Amino acid sequence: MKKIKKSPANILLYGFLALWTAIQIFPLYWMLTFSLKDNNEIFGANVIGLPHVWRWENYTSVLTRGKVGTYFLNSVLVTGATIALTSIIALMATYALTRMIWKGRKLANNVVMLGLTVPIHTAILPIFIILRSLKMTNSYQALIIPYTAFGLAMAIMICSSLMEGIPRELEEAAFIDGCSIYGIFGSIILPLMRPAIATISIFTYLTAWNELMFATIFISDSNYRTLTVGIQTLSGSYTTDWGPIGAALVVATFPTLIIYAFMSNKIQESLVIGAVKG
Amino acid sequence: MKQTLKRIISLMMVCLMVLSIAACGNSVPAQPGQSDAPESSTPSASNSSTPAPAQNVQLVLWSIATESDAFHNAYNQAIADFEKANPGVKIVHETFENESYKTKIKSAVAANELPDLFFTWGGGFSQSFVESGKVLAIDKYYTEEYQAQLSRAALVNATYDGKLYGATYTTPVSALFYNRKMFDQYNLKAPTTFEELVNVCQTFINNGITPIGVSVKDTWVLAMTHDALTLKSAGPEKTKKAITRGGQSYNDPDFLASATKLKQLIDMGAYVEGATGLSNDEASQYFYNGTVPMYITGSWMAGSIMTDCEHPEDYDVAPIPVINGNNAKITDFMGGAADTIMVAASTKNPDVAGKAVFELTRSISKYAYLDGAGVPAWEVDYDDSAVNPITAKLAQYATGATSFTLWFDTLMNANDAGEYLALLQQLYIGSITPQEFVEAMAEQLGS
Amino acid sequence: MEKARSNVVAICLFMLPAAVLFTVIIIVPVIMSTYYSLLNWDGITKGTFVGLENFVQLFKSKTAGFPKTLLNVSVLAGLSIVIQLPLALFLALVLGKGIKGEVFFLSVFFIPVLLSTTVIGQLWSKIYNPDYGILNVALRALGLDHMTKVWLGDQKTALLAVFIPILWQYVGYHMLIMYAGIKSISPELREAARIDGATEGQLARYVTIPLLKPVLRTSIIFSVTGSLKAFDLIYILTNGGPAHASEVPSTLMVSMIFNRNRYGFGSAIAVMIIFLCFLMAILLRKLIRTEEVV
Repeated sequence: MKKIKKSPANILLYGFLALWTAIQIFPLYWMLTFSLKDNNEIFGANVIGLPHVWRWENYTSVLTRGKVGTYFLNSVLVTGATIALTSIIALMATYALTRMIWKGRKLANNVVMLGLTVPIHTAILPIFIILRSLKMTNSYQALIIPYTAFGLAMAIMICSSLMEGIPRELEEAAFIDGCSIYGIFGSIILPLMRPAIATISIFTYLTAWNELMFATIFISDSNYRTLTVGIQTLSGSYTTDWGPIGAALVVATFPTLIIYAFMSNKIQESLVIGAVKG
Repeated sequence: MKQTLKRIISLMMVCLMVLSIAACGNSVPAQPGQSDAPESSTPSASNSSTPAPAQNVQLVLWSIATESDAFHNAYNQAIADFEKANPGVKIVHETFENESYKTKIKSAVAANELPDLFFTWGGGFSQSFVESGKVLAIDKYYTEEYQAQLSRAALVNATYDGKLYGATYTTPVSALFYNRKMFDQYNLKAPTTFEELVNVCQTFINNGITPIGVSVKDTWVLAMTHDALTLKSAGPEKTKKAITRGGQSYNDPDFLASATKLKQLIDMGAYVEGATGLSNDEASQYFYNGTVPMYITGSWMAGSIMTDCEHPEDYDVAPIPVINGNNAKITDFMGGAADTIMVAASTKNPDVAGKAVFELTRSISKYAYLDGAGVPAWEVDYDDSAVNPITAKLAQYATGATSFTLWFDTLMNANDAGEYLALLQQLYIGSITPQEFVEAMAEQLGS
Repeated sequence: MEKARSNVVAICLFMLPAAVLFTVIIIVPVIMSTYYSLLNWDGITKGTFVGLENFVQLFKSKTAGFPKTLLNVSVLAGLSIVIQLPLALFLALVLGKGIKGEVFFLSVFFIPVLLSTTVIGQLWSKIYNPDYGILNVALRALGLDHMTKVWLGDQKTALLAVFIPILWQYVGYHMLIMYAGIKSISPELREAARIDGATEGQLARYVTIPLLKPVLRTSIIFSVTGSLKAFDLIYILTNGGPAHASEVPSTLMVSMIFNRNRYGFGSAIAVMIIFLCFLMAILLRKLIRTEEVV
């Protein structure tokens, strides 16, 4: 790492970065304070300040509700499975799509794009009917499978742009060493794709963890309900206590922040390894 | 060393890959056996951990009475009562948030995934459900005992083609909620005619107070006012005929009058600034915290006043003022029993479910009234002296009502309702005149 | 090697899981939606086949206002290419060259992406509130009372007011994709350019950005297709209002399908969205041809 020069350009740059940091952190601060207020403060009396009364009871009221623990575990399970499946399936498909030679590869590449284009709301009823005919509603698969399918397009595109950067000579060399195509995929490609896996995981995590529509429609049994749907039921028909919702949102966001902190380190780490080797 | 490491990694990767394929290939055919249980609403796999008595019947009920909803407690007590009175019957109550529930219930009807019992809205909303044959007619369970306590007239919104498809527990009505303390301060009384309402508004405006809170973003709130003004201008029969395509044109002086009166209130500055960008939560907060003295909405606001206002005793309620005394009375009300519980045609236990609908709605009616959550639809044969004064007053309005007209957006078919709300927004922001509004409505309802 | 690369069994194994999932969850629903779009159907009772009538209505019906929604999303897509992506690229370049506090900034700039739409939606409705909203309060404090507006409730400002949060929220998203791309460019290349006396600007202009082309292309495709499908924040902040001022195809589609029970008509909108997204994705891919990086 270079030493920072105290040039005006650098001061300007850091000034800008600091300003942007403040803007980006503000929502987090706002969410935390909002979770400790009541409706009166949230709606007008005290929008951005610290709470006048710190209402920790918002948290107790949320955490002691019937099935919050179950919802949380369900979210973890569904999201975890989605990430794992998406990463593995996307990597495999990307390899075939970018490195192998076959008829229809171009077409397949274009079909992948289709996954980016489908608006989730139109897919609800068709997928619901399909899941029902497979007798899969009210199960974890009812969410894992659609989430994975919808995450694949983006994951494959992220993988493709990175995989294109891996020199073919590496594979050729391994092949001459007697490596099979599976061996090449496993020992040459996968380790080099680690930054992509980290990126995919973050994005897949975000869609699966925060998804609401599929989770509401496909799951009716509250034993399989996810956290976002659980939080949504905190609002009543005509009046909503926003404080506890804020608290629930903090609870739901917390793992995200931790995982992200962990993942962004991983990205760094794997990049350093890549750099040393390369 | 490096070579072996490589081999191990690649072996692991291959295993991983094969596993993933196997896992994926499995997931399709392996399903049927696994999830038979949840599909058939009777003993769901998840409940096997809690042993139930033999020959038990389990009914699944969907509703919007979430833990934060005013009706949650009433539902729970009603279910507990029913289970106690009917040993061996268990009701699994699943609750969903209001807005997403509308999507959920429509999808469930379309995909034939309805639970035994489900909450829905009567009138136009459930029409297609009934037409599709997915809802059970429950006339034969509507015994004399029930008929004595819940009249057929109250079930008109759950009656399609002469058959009864559901029962209700509450008869909400639209009313003018006001802050009596603020009214007293300027020696004002609750208005009974539109002119008085205008005077009240003018007095507040002259004193630097915005008189009425409203949300135009959640257009149903604005519609509450316009619906009521229309009713009080054209009267119940004419209104109903016009909006349900019953042969009465909407392009009529009485309907123009209500749109013009609404426009008059808007133009005089009676509504909060920026209502077009406010949600109902935000707008009603102005009323709860004493910024604005009036809010026109459904009777459910009574419960919120009790919980959200610092001084609930300052608040009161009045019927919506009359515009044209020749057509409408002060006792004509917007509202009526829209909240309905229905039975799915696919239920395995129609007899238990049919009985449960009436038993549950009767109990919910009672408990919700005692909680101050809603105006009861069923006869009050119990002591209600502890009910909060505003809810009690609303219950009296409902009992003494000369007519009920369901809110336009529930009564109309869904497409007309959507257009109505969109046009109302345009009328509010002034991109169309009252005349253009009634013409556009007439065109929509005539097509 | 060529032979191994065209090993049919291997190709099938690699593609199978993706192909199965894609067929069941993406392709079949697309076909079903296309069929629904040819019906006059409320989504529940029996529909009647009307051919292309729904598509004709899309462009003819004045009340539905579909053409206007297309204009609105084009503005969004344009803004994201002109404002959002350059900002993301700038941040990625700055962080990618290895400044002090790199990891910290990287993490912080991504925070808005991590928060759920509910949080972001609530936050911005507090920013835009005409009475106590942060924006108007700030304007009043600066003595600019005449500039205060009912941001989300005014037909003139609503569109831009809902687009700003969308653009802002995803800057970090594109930054991260670009950052990962920059980091995978071999450091030797950059070092060599530096030794040759290239300034940071030249380095970015002649070395990093050209090598980043595949990643930039991905970003552009994501942001354009994402714009065409934009829904969540608009739904929360204005739901397309006031009077359709901020309506986009997705909000119109959802209101048709689920509020107005016009499933056929809504499906026609969906088919248009799918078609446009697909067309844009393919076009952009063709337009931004990337040279093979070896």
